[in-house]
Amino acid sequence: MASTLRPYLTCIRNTLDAAMCLQNFPCQEVERHNKPEVELKSSPELLLNPVLICRNESEKCLIETSINSLRISLKVKQADELENILTKKFLRFLSMRAEAFQVLRRKPVQGYDISFLITNYHCEEMQKHKLIDFIVQFMEDIDKEISELKMSVNTRGRLVATEFLKQFI
Amino acid sequence: MAVTAVHQLAQCITCHAWSADRSMVALCPNNSEVHIYRLVEDKWEKMHVLQKHDQLISGIDWSARSNKIVTASHDRNSYVWNLERSEWVPTLVILRLNRAALCVQWSPKENKFAVGSGAKTVCICYYEQENNWWVSKLIRKRHDSSVTCVSWHPDNILVASTSTDGKCRIFSTFIKGVDAKDPKNESRFGELIVQLDLSPSWTFGVKWSPSGNTLAYVGHNSVIYFVDDVGPSPLAQNVVFRDLPLRDVLFVSEKMVIGVGYDCIPMVFAADERGIWSFIRYLGERKAVSSGSRYGSQFSEAFGKFYGQAKQGGSNDASETSRTRGVVHENCINSIIPLSRQGTQIRRFSTTGLDGKLVMWDLETEQDLLELLVH
Repeated sequence: MASTLRPYLTCIRNTLDAAMCLQNFPCQEVERHNKPEVELKSSPELLLNPVLICRNESEKCLIETSINSLRISLKVKQADELENILTKKFLRFLSMRAEAFQVLRRKPVQGYDISFLITNYHCEEMQKHKLIDFIVQFMEDIDKEISELKMSVNTRGRLVATEFLKQFI
Repeated sequence: MAVTAVHQLAQCITCHAWSADRSMVALCPNNSEVHIYRLVEDKWEKMHVLQKHDQLISGIDWSARSNKIVTASHDRNSYVWNLERSEWVPTLVILRLNRAALCVQWSPKENKFAVGSGAKTVCICYYEQENNWWVSKLIRKRHDSSVTCVSWHPDNILVASTSTDGKCRIFSTFIKGVDAKDPKNESRFGELIVQLDLSPSWTFGVKWSPSGNTLAYVGHNSVIYFVDDVGPSPLAQNVVFRDLPLRDVLFVSEKMVIGVGYDCIPMVFAADERGIWSFIRYLGERKAVSSGSRYGSQFSEAFGKFYGQAKQGGSNDASETSRTRGVVHENCINSIIPLSRQGTQIRRFSTTGLDGKLVMWDLETEQDLLELLVH
């Protein structure tokens, strides 16, 4: 399992390196406005082809770029019902606090668990390679966090059940 | 080293322009103002702040002989600034644009300037003596998307423009009363001379060579296009390079071009005797790329391999150094302006980038490039 993680992350890192070439671009549709083109999709010539990187059937990453913004959507591995619930709750917790993360999107794209929106303003304020490191690190940490949460739920369940059933001995 | 000076003038610089004697530089620090700095005894002093625009200033150009600054901004306006006594006085130019202005350049004779806009048009502005104001004429048709960059041919009539629809177009901007009539060149205003459809992706940074014979522009697909003998039967070449795309180019001689962009380091391209262009090298590259691992020694890298892949983040791995290539600039370089000219060759130039640094380069120290230049 771990053997496919490295190439998956390297592939995402290289794709992000190429995709994160963003520049300030004023809106063509509305005067005096500056909008992330990847969200608007109003001018097809300003969008690049989206890239879908799949690790297996349940884990994938969609990277959509445009001239001034980039959207990364992740689908995290969910093996059973418990992981499904844990992932949903954990990622919803993070997404609700999207302001603190700056690059996080408040709602994930349809069909994915979590999305990032990086604009040219983020690239101006922060360094590009650090942003990419953050995203890749996030992906690694998510898997660890969900496993830890699952283990702690199972442990707690076992403890509670043991205590409860002691009264029947 | 090719770098002669590095100055941190702002947090982020959008564009810059030098005065004729190269003692003052006008730049936009990513807001709606223009800051003019003068080099006083090794320190940069902010001499003037030009505040008239409402939104980000996307282009500044400083004319050499008439000492006027033209600025174009995302608020659809453009101002021509004249130095009167010691104040810069703005004159509004009615561009008649309904979208942002993206780039601006004075013509070689400085009687006209061209503005590319998000309204898919190019405006050519000239000074009308009778009414004492700047008038604009729009080249309305032909463009399918925003015009990202404009460049004047040395003959003061032709203008090349690149756009986000991937095409480079050359127009004639002959204006009766402003330009002298040329019997060889009977063209109307706004006439499309050549349309170059070489790039599948957005195009930026178009420039003419000093003689006007060759045109160079970059595409976002990491290709730089060179077009020789621009006219009815142009000869186009493209040079694909390995890394990230470029944003702007500069002809330092008839046969050498420096490109700058997302790699944060200038790239040198040159044409050999047969006229075939190719990539020569980077200017001032960092020597050992893999030694820049943030956690230091090879010891920790070896440990990382021992513990298996699911250990620390990507920065420990020798193959994954996602660091910038550039030694000097830390973020994308977005413009390159010549500093000194010797005949038709440029030995010194300056670059500014999103990291807010103004870096001055000198080719005198690069022996191998000098030999190619002299050709």
